[in-house]
Amino acid sequence: MDFSFTEEQVMLRDSVARYLGKAYDFDARQALLRSGAPWSKEAWRQFADLGVLALPLPEEVGGLGGSAADLVPVAETFGEHLTVEPWAFALTLAGGALVAAGDNAAARRHLADLASGASTGAFAYDEGRGLAAPAQIAMTAAPSGGGFVLDGEKRLVFGAAEAGFLVVAARAAGRAGDVEGLVLLLVDPHAPGVALTPFRTQDGRSAAHVRFDDVAVAGADVLMRDAHGVIAKLISDAILVLAAEAVGAMGALLRITGTYATTRKQFGVAIGTFQAVAHRLADMKIAHAKAYASLMYSTALAEAGRLTARDVSVLKGQVGKLGRTIAEAAVQTHGGVGMTDELSVGHYMKRLLAFEVLFGAPDYHFRLVGKAA
Amino acid sequence: MNIEFGPELESFRQEVGSFLDTAPTPAIREAGGKTTSVFAPFEQAMAWQKILHAKGWAAPAWPREYGGTGWSVAQRYIFAEECRKRELPPLLPNGLVMVGPMLIELGTDEQKRKHLPQILSGEAYWTQGYSEPNAGSDLASLQCAAVSDGDDYIINGSKIWTTLAHHSNRMFMLVRTAKTGKKQEGITFLLLERTDYPGMDIRPIVGLDGFPEQCEVFFDNVRVPKSGRVGAENDGWSVAKHLLKHERGGSAASPAMLHSIARLREAAKTTPSPFGGVLADDPVFERDLGELEADVLSYRHFEQLAISGHPMVRDAAYPSMNKTMSSELSQRVSIMMTRVSGIETVPLQLEALTVGANVAPLGDDFDLTAMPYYLNTRATTIYAGTNEVQRDLIARTVLAAHR
Repeated sequence: MDFSFTEEQVMLRDSVARYLGKAYDFDARQALLRSGAPWSKEAWRQFADLGVLALPLPEEVGGLGGSAADLVPVAETFGEHLTVEPWAFALTLAGGALVAAGDNAAARRHLADLASGASTGAFAYDEGRGLAAPAQIAMTAAPSGGGFVLDGEKRLVFGAAEAGFLVVAARAAGRAGDVEGLVLLLVDPHAPGVALTPFRTQDGRSAAHVRFDDVAVAGADVLMRDAHGVIAKLISDAILVLAAEAVGAMGALLRITGTYATTRKQFGVAIGTFQAVAHRLADMKIAHAKAYASLMYSTALAEAGRLTARDVSVLKGQVGKLGRTIAEAAVQTHGGVGMTDELSVGHYMKRLLAFEVLFGAPDYHFRLVGKAA
Repeated sequence: MNIEFGPELESFRQEVGSFLDTAPTPAIREAGGKTTSVFAPFEQAMAWQKILHAKGWAAPAWPREYGGTGWSVAQRYIFAEECRKRELPPLLPNGLVMVGPMLIELGTDEQKRKHLPQILSGEAYWTQGYSEPNAGSDLASLQCAAVSDGDDYIINGSKIWTTLAHHSNRMFMLVRTAKTGKKQEGITFLLLERTDYPGMDIRPIVGLDGFPEQCEVFFDNVRVPKSGRVGAENDGWSVAKHLLKHERGGSAASPAMLHSIARLREAAKTTPSPFGGVLADDPVFERDLGELEADVLSYRHFEQLAISGHPMVRDAAYPSMNKTMSSELSQRVSIMMTRVSGIETVPLQLEALTVGANVAPLGDDFDLTAMPYYLNTRATTIYAGTNEVQRDLIARTVLAAHR
């Protein structure tokens, strides 16, 4: 057994960390958000130069064919810096769907643009108050000729307003709860009938709710039928990458809070000398250790092609729950200043809480773990 | 990254498994099933040690030259895991895990020659004399005194929480040999070759689970030879810290927890739910069980990282984190067991729990052990440094990282 990264993986992580350390500290991030830009074009260009955009994509389309162990350390670094670029959503989810479509011509075109950084894509999946399981997809894609007509709404589509293409997961047959009848469709965000409501997320990302009114999708843009297995695999990949981001954010919060408790004085002494505070710090470190261990173990399982749905539920539930534990402890330890927008602590909290509810909240995943041995 | 143990370790697992399937006697198996503590029933644990010793497997962590197996950390983990899967009683740790490894590092040649073979064979069983009525978490405040008298020390005072002292024929202990300077600096580490010296009085303490696992030991002018001293006079604190080190790393606590979870999940399939059907299908139960199992699995992942030699094991907080996680998770597992067992936890069944008593339990074996296990497991967050002390140590590393 070996849970260490290769020299190449460490080098890539370090060069990403070096760039972010220089150009993407917390003040730079806040200035970026104040500018109204959805994310940093400059950072995206750097990611392209460093190979981070090509990393998750297969070699046939100009990618680097990165494995789980390649993605995780980079994502952890993104989490430490609270990056707002839609890497996981555009590459892992939207890009992953295009890859799964095989030799679809339109998909290949978009993939080349993704790898080079020329454009991005978005994955339209969630509905209502969120979809823990792909089988719950309800939005309809009515068969029409060789293609489909889309009607309904997708919620919380990350990077939709800036995307060159949308991948939409919809239901062509059956009803919510059925594993059968799901399709993945390629949709032009500027097509007639597509209406976006863009917004900033609590954790600084750009996202949109997307309405579809009689949106015609041609047969050539049907990426996949019987898509349940592929969608589930995409979500599983995204959970691993986003969990790595979350663990990176947890590590940063632990460090920041440790520093604060060492330097902040009340009653004439550093607050970390009070046992109630010290024990909360210990609990933060334990929470981080558990989340980190499950992330590393899951990464190694994914490398070996052995990551099961149950393993993913353990990871998602644990990182979600423990992320909240750390975030709330960090705010409490910082006291009043922890409540302010100008400190990074609350922004880490919002990133962790967003992770907690995406793709099934801990209650859902824990119940799955509890069901079956 | 590589998640596999590899073919060599997998064939090692097979070898271990086939031995463990055949070697234990029925009484040893019964004791394993009735183990509701980290300390298995004494007689059967020692019988099992004898069998393992004959095979050369009594001390997995010892170097080969002292009669150990020379196994790697991963092999030891696999061995422990296979033992837990089969519900075999764990060997009693005081000699094999505590005194033995400490002597290998710090003992004189004579001490090693005298004690190590007897620890391996089980001829000698050691009790630990550390805590005192007024020295628990604050161990360095201990007052049990040893006064030098020629080639001997004369001991006066008392020790408490001396696990299984009533079954032990050896004792290692900390005594106060100086009352000046820092309290850590006046402590000496002694090995007692008998537990029946004149003036020594051992009184068992009945625990919450109804069994006398712990004892109190009184010393009234007990004369012991100085040859039993480990390290220099007044340097016992560093010996004790050394000994603590041997309880760290390569732990294999998660297999037992996962085994208990599998048992309680099975039991829940026949436990009626107040809402109809069975508890196993109750959504709240499923969720709570899943949350617990996921947390145990994270701890298991932490263990796996440790046995792979991940740099985190060099973190000064690692032993305390390991102890805190494993003790609190085992308590939560025990709570879940009593939750499934429900009213079956209420009958007191000391006889049915006694190995060889031939008294049938009032319910099934799961119900028999749930409550005693719960009660005994309350000790895990108290012994070996309360979890409050562990959290102090962990927090120190969070704060020190920024000084």
